[in-house]
Amino acid sequence: MEAAALRYTNVSVGYQGTPVVTGVDLELSAGQRLALVGPNGAGKSTLIKSILGLAQILAGTAVVLGNPPARARGLTGYVPQTDTLDADFPVSVRQVVMMGRYRQLGWWRPVRAADRQAVERALDRVGLADRARHRFGTLSGGQRQRVLLARAIAAQPRLLLLDEPFNGVDAVSQEAIVRVLRELSAAGTALVLSTHDLAVARDLADLVCLVNGRQWAVGPPAETLTAGPLRRTYGSSAIDVADGRMVLVEP
Amino acid sequence: MIEPFAVPFMGRALAEIALLALICGPISVFVFVRGLSFVSDALTHTVFPGVVIGFVAGGLDGVFTGALVAGVLTAVLLTVLTRSARLSDDAATAVVLTAMFSIGVVLVSRRSSYTSDLTSFLFGRLLTVTPRQLAETAVLAGVILVVLLISVRALLFRAFDPAAAAAAGFRAGWLDLLLNVMLALVVVAAVRAVGTILVVALLIVPAAAARMVTDRLAVMAVAGAGLVFAAGYGGLLLSWTASLRYGVALTSASAVVLLLVLSYLVLLPVRLLRDRRRGVVPVPAERTSPHELVG
Repeated sequence: MEAAALRYTNVSVGYQGTPVVTGVDLELSAGQRLALVGPNGAGKSTLIKSILGLAQILAGTAVVLGNPPARARGLTGYVPQTDTLDADFPVSVRQVVMMGRYRQLGWWRPVRAADRQAVERALDRVGLADRARHRFGTLSGGQRQRVLLARAIAAQPRLLLLDEPFNGVDAVSQEAIVRVLRELSAAGTALVLSTHDLAVARDLADLVCLVNGRQWAVGPPAETLTAGPLRRTYGSSAIDVADGRMVLVEP
Repeated sequence: MIEPFAVPFMGRALAEIALLALICGPISVFVFVRGLSFVSDALTHTVFPGVVIGFVAGGLDGVFTGALVAGVLTAVLLTVLTRSARLSDDAATAVVLTAMFSIGVVLVSRRSSYTSDLTSFLFGRLLTVTPRQLAETAVLAGVILVVLLISVRALLFRAFDPAAAAAAGFRAGWLDLLLNVMLALVVVAAVRAVGTILVVALLIVPAAAARMVTDRLAVMAVAGAGLVFAAGYGGLLLSWTASLRYGVALTSASAVVLLLVLSYLVLLPVRLLRDRRRGVVPVPAERTSPHELVG
């Protein structure tokens, strides 16, 4: 039987011994899409970093693709938020996507034809093949996010982690990203994405995990994105509107 | 008039500059993309006490060893201090910089030939480069180029996207140490020729100037090296002509650096014109690198 893409059992994660998120119980199989939902500073990014082995597992057991997190790095892909990157960096779109191949290539092994093909295919998939020679920073925020997605795809990961992939992203790019994510999961890639956009989570995810310092609920969107769990997670910034829908406001 | 570079000391000076150009072009690209200008400045200052101790202990030949030890020690110290996050990067760097530089000044002030020693350490002796010194520079240049070639991929990934590089298994701590040590080695290679004060120009200006005319990293490295060589050639010729024709004493290292900085100023409008033609909106300078451009 194939190992689950992700299995967290009563996990606490944090940095330098200080917990950021506690009590996380998750199980994700191949091809499933998990949305981490919570307010800013809730620990969504820390949870993602812990799956990459870049944040500490302080308690519980974390298994990523049958391995401890740091050992699974060869099988996971990571898409950071584009606004964490220097837009003035002199690097082309193609070079950025090629970075996705660096893990396999290591420090100095020369780039092969297979690597170039993987890069071109990934760019093609996100619809930016014609932008390969442009400087990364000259693209729009949404296009940059698609380039970072292409970079992750170029490594052909079995588990893909995306940190707020729709932040500051225009409608065209959002549609392109959602389409690619659906294709990937249909082909068996497990997805974990953090978002504070409930509509995105409802639309895209098979599973939703509500976090804010601890895990407040986990389950299908229909059970978790409802008044009770959302109010527990968000406190006073969750407001009921008609027919049981929730609106979130910054307190 | 004698062909200047046929004179042995001028020939050696040009050869020294050519070797330095080979390493300063590429290393300055990393200084630029990582925003390590302040760290470079600190390294040049902290090598100073090493230079003085080396000189006191072993004469001119001791300078190399002294600089090497001080440079590598500083590189390690700066990496550890900035990564342990006890101090902010800038504060840690500034503390190390001022402490080491004042130690150097105290040491050199104990000597009777205080002024002339200080001047030569601070501003270099480009015209008294010895064949042995040339050989040492060549070896260092070879080592630095090979290491950079091997690690260029990892260093650039870490510079562009630290989180994704770490997620792909590249260790930021070791990469930072490696780059800092390489920077220190460049300073050691250049310090006798151009002095501790001016060497920082060789680490910062080449890539910054080349960035004005290109968006490509490889082109930046090559153009940066070309700029250093051109400034070296022009600077040496300038100081030669000034002293022979007009009796003006113009330190050759200063002339070289002056031309290098001038090239930056000349290229500045080129960048502005290019940006305007392409309709690039200036992006607010929110650098993600922990090291800000200071002084």
